[in-house]
Amino acid sequence: MIDVAFIGLSIGAILLLVSLGLAITYGSMGVINMAHGEMVMLGAYTNVLLGIWLNVGFLAAIPVAFMATALVGFVIERLVVRRLYGRLLDTMLATWGIAILLQEAVRLDLGLSLVGINIEGLGKGLQKVAAPDWLAGVVTIAGVQINAYRGFIILLTAVLTTATWILLYRTPLGIQVRAIMRNPKMAAACGINVERVNALTFAYGSGLAGIAGVMMSGFMTVSPEMGAPVVVDGFLVVVTGGLGSLLGTVWSAGILGEINGFVSSVTTDVVARAAVFAVLILIIVFRPNGLFSFRAR
Amino acid sequence: MALKRGHLDLIIYGAFVAVILVAPLWLDDFWVNRLSKYLVYGMLGIAISLSWGYAGILNLGQGLFFGAGAYMLAMSLKLASPTSLQSSDTPVPDFMLWNSEPGAVANLCCINRVSFLWIPFQHQWFGLIAGVALPSLIAGLLGTVLFRRRLAGAFVSIITLAFVLMIRLLVIEEQPLTNGFNGLTDLALLTIGNFQFDPYDRATYYLVAVSLSLALIGARLLVGTRAGLILQGIRDDQARARCLGFNVPAFQTLFFSVSAAIAGLAGMLYVVVAQFASPTFLDISFSITMVIWAAVGGRSSLLGACIGAIVINMIEATASETAALLDLWKVIIGLIFVLAVLFLPRGIAGLAGSVSDRLFAMWSRGRGQAELPSGAAQPAE
Amino acid sequence: MVTTTRRSFLKTSALGAAGAVASPYLVGGVRAAAPIDVGVLFSLTGGMSIIETSLKDATLLAVSEINAKGGVLGRQINPIIEDGATDPKTFSERASKLAIQDKTETIFGLYVSATRKAVLPVIEKRNKLLFYPTFYEGYECSRNVIYTGAVVNQIVWNAVPWIVEKLGKKKFFIVGSNFLYSRETSKVTKSRIKQAGAQWIADEYLEFGSAEAASLVNKIKESGADVVFSNIVGSSVIAFYREYRNQGLTQDKLPIFSTVTTEIEIAALGPEFSAGSYTSLPYFQAIDSDANKSFVERYRAFVKDPKAVTHQPVESSYFQVYLWKQAVEKAGSFQADAVREAVRGQEFDAPDGRVRVDPENLHTWFTPRIAQWQPDGQGKIVDAAPAPVRPLPYAAYGETDDNLFCTPHGLDQKKLKS
Repeated sequence: MIDVAFIGLSIGAILLLVSLGLAITYGSMGVINMAHGEMVMLGAYTNVLLGIWLNVGFLAAIPVAFMATALVGFVIERLVVRRLYGRLLDTMLATWGIAILLQEAVRLDLGLSLVGINIEGLGKGLQKVAAPDWLAGVVTIAGVQINAYRGFIILLTAVLTTATWILLYRTPLGIQVRAIMRNPKMAAACGINVERVNALTFAYGSGLAGIAGVMMSGFMTVSPEMGAPVVVDGFLVVVTGGLGSLLGTVWSAGILGEINGFVSSVTTDVVARAAVFAVLILIIVFRPNGLFSFRAR
Repeated sequence: MALKRGHLDLIIYGAFVAVILVAPLWLDDFWVNRLSKYLVYGMLGIAISLSWGYAGILNLGQGLFFGAGAYMLAMSLKLASPTSLQSSDTPVPDFMLWNSEPGAVANLCCINRVSFLWIPFQHQWFGLIAGVALPSLIAGLLGTVLFRRRLAGAFVSIITLAFVLMIRLLVIEEQPLTNGFNGLTDLALLTIGNFQFDPYDRATYYLVAVSLSLALIGARLLVGTRAGLILQGIRDDQARARCLGFNVPAFQTLFFSVSAAIAGLAGMLYVVVAQFASPTFLDISFSITMVIWAAVGGRSSLLGACIGAIVINMIEATASETAALLDLWKVIIGLIFVLAVLFLPRGIAGLAGSVSDRLFAMWSRGRGQAELPSGAAQPAE
Repeated sequence: MVTTTRRSFLKTSALGAAGAVASPYLVGGVRAAAPIDVGVLFSLTGGMSIIETSLKDATLLAVSEINAKGGVLGRQINPIIEDGATDPKTFSERASKLAIQDKTETIFGLYVSATRKAVLPVIEKRNKLLFYPTFYEGYECSRNVIYTGAVVNQIVWNAVPWIVEKLGKKKFFIVGSNFLYSRETSKVTKSRIKQAGAQWIADEYLEFGSAEAASLVNKIKESGADVVFSNIVGSSVIAFYREYRNQGLTQDKLPIFSTVTTEIEIAALGPEFSAGSYTSLPYFQAIDSDANKSFVERYRAFVKDPKAVTHQPVESSYFQVYLWKQAVEKAGSFQADAVREAVRGQEFDAPDGRVRVDPENLHTWFTPRIAQWQPDGQGKIVDAAPAPVRPLPYAAYGETDDNLFCTPHGLDQKKLKS
């Protein structure tokens, strides 16, 4: 029983890891970033490339992936998202187009494969990622067998969530972000540089996705298409959790993860997925603002 | 004769219908069939535009209605196919035979737990009607539940997304009912009276072209009615419409269902033209791509969305069939999406609209008539 | 409307130039006849592009080799390459283009069964030939398809008794991806397990493409099984094998035996996750024969990647072009009907051994093998059948050598029903 609960928790943790960045950008900017899955993918590839070119382990890859994807996110925000401020659905479509471009960039070795140059670690193939040995296998805590890698993911997610919470609730920047979440116009009127904060927020959210990518590269296939299924799950979690609520995202990731874990242990994985969608739809229908929400509607 | 703005619409629509009806004269079999598929996609563009541009409901799961329509007709055509008739007196789809438990009766009633659902499809007319009725029904139910709760735009979109994902999962899972991943193949030709619609015949092309024209003109007339104008008012400001006393959910549900019906019809026509139905119709990438067609063509313009769908697919086909662009065509498509959303918010139709506005203003001025104010309340193109 | 695309023209001139330089037959000033168009239809983009691009490359390797030796019936082969984009709708359209607009009599291509089903209508209606190089679930008997991939009886029938006898495992946990290949293979496996006197404990499926295998592996752990029979395909393979080890299961105590995992997934997994597991297929890159070693070298040179791996469908994509060439030469014609009759019974020395097109059902005779994956990423052959085995696409329904369901007259549905 505890095994199943642990699995549910770890599924939830992975969901949360991906959704955290989305929650920030959606909550504060109201932007639905369909390229978020590709940020995860870029994080995974950063891990691969660092492993091949610099021979560093994935712990070192985490901060590098954060910086790299944050940078990409920053650029996207400046070039595209900024011009679509206020047009929620258009941002969604534009970022979908960007997602395609990012996928192709990796698939084509950043364009170099067209002229015959192949970069090892990029391209359309499956990439191998060596998961660290010290995380393989099982740890036994209080009689319960815990998969070390998943345990690490749970820990990392907890750390990141706490860090994000501290950032949001205990720093001046966080106050600005929260102010923008409540009412962007008033925040601007109070002298907050909305544009700068938005750019940083988007970058931060993308950076978190990059870290998620590093962790996922340890157990998922790394290929240019790995990001696509990720973004939909992330969105469903965020919308269920409630606009602008970190707590809501945590709860909804946890609940959906546990539902997936329990249902799939009783029936099949496929039924579990369908059940998760059904629960999600019900939550949104009966609590349209999600589980928790700040914005008054 | 004074040339009014409204007449311009008529001329453009008429020109479009004329072009698609006349095109087969210059095209070979392959292109006629290919163009039929694009016209089907054009219908999807119209459906999206009706729902999104006019009703303000961005349906990210339009593939659900397309797929539902496709599967309904495919089921009837499957039962009519010779492959279903060879092992028993009554038709049973071949995949059900393969999936059945040993010793099961080879009859639709009882070969597996869910096969009885196929029984009404032995009549082709049932499949034809269900292809439009089922999507409308689903849309009606969905709409009643969603719109009554006053859900805002983004939430509705996310729910349609989750819904299509869920249904896709179930369709693939229920192999004894739907043949899962492989979809429904080995279909008979659509037969009406004594006439068989071969996908490469001109007749099939005209079936599609006429359906598209009817859908286009029908939708255009619909948005010009009082209901259509109210709908646009709802799109622009829900709260105000509600305060004015209109039954907002009812209007939204109505147009959502009409949009679904058009998508269902498109699905049926696709099955006639391509001869298969597949769960890939329910992929979210397909549904989102449909929205992009409408965005590029012009979401508030039925004809624009229709043309957008046709043009983008042509570009895609041409690019991917050109050797030099074989690797690059997806990049081209991605760029088109991003640039269109950024710089052409009203799509190509919007661009064409502004250009024609200016030309028209110049013409009127030249004729000594008063300039038409650009913000006049005209029905959209 | 459009007859010669720029691409086919360039290819023609390139191949023509190559042929003129390399081939002794053309040096003497003999005027080459017009090139013959063939279709090459694989996913070059999308989820399956990784695998299918290698199949396209293998096809083109065979084409270039044949062209260098003078082509077929004195004509150079002009491959018209199209991208199916891992989408049945796109495949259907491209197949139409090849069959109707480009008028190719023969198409080499396809991987995923759903895409093959989507192109069948146009291939059959226009009476073209499709050479299909992928191992698949069977249950098909189209006279317009030459199936050069293995079918389930050539993969599972040898595997199950071997597991029971040589590995001593009697409790099978069957896993698969949620689609037709896995489900049908599972059916055949179950009946074979019963015949071998063992038992199957469970039959579970992952959603196609899912990366979340935690629940499944947990169930395996608690089931008491001693071998996992895996029909999982695609990106789920990596997630599954990784999760397996991460949850503490080892290949020596509870081995994974797969009908799908090939060198491509093994390379992406890494030895710590895959070493010790097994796969049953006719072809492995490690087959120690001169023919195979030469093939691997030539393939690597052709794709300009010294570390490229060859796997089962790559081999089939390669030798099926030769089978076609032989059939055309025997028939003296490129027409589909003539080639179909001529290809029945054709034999070829493929990299893995002798292969033969069955004259009755147009599938291919293969030598079933079993390999255990080694830390170097190659499969060590631990079992090989003494001779090629006849393909029986309807084996799950009682088809046997003396009771064929699929013959030149088509599928005998009455036999299927019983």
